Amino acid sequence: MTLVFDRLRKEYGQVVAIDDVTASFAPGLIHGVIGPNGAGKSTLINMTAGSYTVSSGSIALDGKRLDKLKKYQIANSGVARTYQNIRLFDQMTALENLEVCFYPSDVGGTWKEVLWPPYASARRVHRREKCMEILRFFDLQGHADAEAGSLPYGRQRMLEIARALVCNPRLLLLDEPAAGLNHHETAELTAKLAAQRSPDRITIIVEHDMDLVMALCDNIIVMHHGKLLFQGTPAEVQASTDVQLAYLGTANDIDDIRAAAQDRRAQLGIRTRRRS
Amino acid sequence: MSVAESLAAARPRSSRAVAFLVFAIAIALIAATPFLPNYYIRVIDSLLIYILLGIGLNIVIGYTGLLDLGFVAFYAVGAYSYALLASPQLDLHLPFLLILLVAACLGAITGILLGIPVLRLRGDYLAIVTLGFGEIVRIIINNLDWLTGGPKGIARLDKASILGIQIARPVDFFWLLLVVVLLAGLVAWRLERSILGKAWAAIREDQDAARGIGINTTNAKLAAFATSATIGSIAGAIFGASQRFVSPESFTLQESVLIVLMIVVGGIGNILGIVAGAAILILLPEVLREFAEWRILFLGLLMIFLIIVRPAGIVPRSFGPDKLIGRLFGK
Repeated sequence: MTLVFDRLRKEYGQVVAIDDVTASFAPGLIHGVIGPNGAGKSTLINMTAGSYTVSSGSIALDGKRLDKLKKYQIANSGVARTYQNIRLFDQMTALENLEVCFYPSDVGGTWKEVLWPPYASARRVHRREKCMEILRFFDLQGHADAEAGSLPYGRQRMLEIARALVCNPRLLLLDEPAAGLNHHETAELTAKLAAQRSPDRITIIVEHDMDLVMALCDNIIVMHHGKLLFQGTPAEVQASTDVQLAYLGTANDIDDIRAAAQDRRAQLGIRTRRRS
Repeated sequence: MSVAESLAAARPRSSRAVAFLVFAIAIALIAATPFLPNYYIRVIDSLLIYILLGIGLNIVIGYTGLLDLGFVAFYAVGAYSYALLASPQLDLHLPFLLILLVAACLGAITGILLGIPVLRLRGDYLAIVTLGFGEIVRIIINNLDWLTGGPKGIARLDKASILGIQIARPVDFFWLLLVVVLLAGLVAWRLERSILGKAWAAIREDQDAARGIGINTTNAKLAAFATSATIGSIAGAIFGASQRFVSPESFTLQESVLIVLMIVVGGIGNILGIVAGAAILILLPEVLREFAEWRILFLGLLMIFLIIVRPAGIVPRSFGPDKLIGRLFGK
């Protein structure tokens, strides 16, 4: 079973952000979503995670409809995500940022934790062990007790991905994980993401850094103007002329733009500035 | 050895001494209280009631990050629970412990009733709606003459007794309040450290990201409102029993603001801070009683001074009860 988008659509009034996208994502693979700015990549992630509502169509994970669920229910169905602009719990420590992810499974025992200290410490030890494991995987163990907001930017990115992975999600959504990272950090991130690959996990990465996407992804979806333009392996995507056109435009496009601009100037009575 | 190194070396010992001093003073104060004149014991009783209220409100403001300006409503619910169930008003004379239980339940229910409509609100908007809620409760009490006696209030409340031991003198209430404050403080502190407390903190930091990791923010917030209101209501019931008279005057907006100030000045999200904040804001007006007209000015200046010098409160969030205990035992 997989993650399936069926004629997925998102409209803001007259503007169509996602235009009848149908796609499916198999587990065990890393899927890249690329496309020019405004193509609707982040919208796809936000709809899948429940941050945005779906206008029409459906999203199903392992046959279960996600688009009807609330955001927290989607998370509890095994969907974890990171955000384009990092959203950690800044005043909590790195460790606590991960620990709180056990809320859905542990909240039922809250009063037992309050009233029966041995149970509380057993739970805490259990949670902390799992969290430390993930922190070590991301080389963050030295920062466990530091406030998340005080970490350097690159570590915050890593911590956010660690938070998404701590409960071993079925579906991992990464929204521009390499944004703002330097060359060295991007390489480190690429290695970590390759290492977290597991046969049960569907990983979807929205990213502008083509080196990362081409190195990491098994399958790439190219979005353009809200539509699915192309789907294939990295090699196929690089060879596709459609993709090149979407990214770079054609010589004709530039002529069209120039003509349109001149029309508007003529309408407004502005004289075209001529170069001498 | 550089200055920094010697400071670092000196620090653990001196901070341990500070922790020791804090405990010693607390125990000395507790031990000395029964021998003080009644007036002083009454002041300490009222201090303990405010600490209890602070512990309750801090769950919503400090842990969950929701600014609630109507907390006094729950205090009123508790006080009127006692007044109605143990007075000639309805000719009911239930035992004190049973009323405490009823007040706790009523408090939790009112807490959830307030919580449901304000779930979507945050920040200023939440503050305004909760402020309105506090005023509505007071106005209802003020106008529901047949039940609450209106502005005249309810007088001649029963003397409280627990298992046949009468609780009437200020010193009796001191021991009762001390036990209740310690219990409430312990529960609130352990709640903060539980998984629910972590979820509250996550909601405080970023509500949307909290939903994104699977936290049902509706339930977590309602749990915060309910526990907070329960503590407020218990404080109210004890207050009613100790005054043996209740009237709407005790439950004005000013009280809510005072409790919020205690938390902010003392150290938001930290029980030790609440004790410090309450001590300053409740004891200082008593100390300054001679300078009647000037004391509000003094308090205002002090508050400005504290907010400039210690913006995170007298005892900041990072120095919680666990740190104090840890230092005491040299961990």
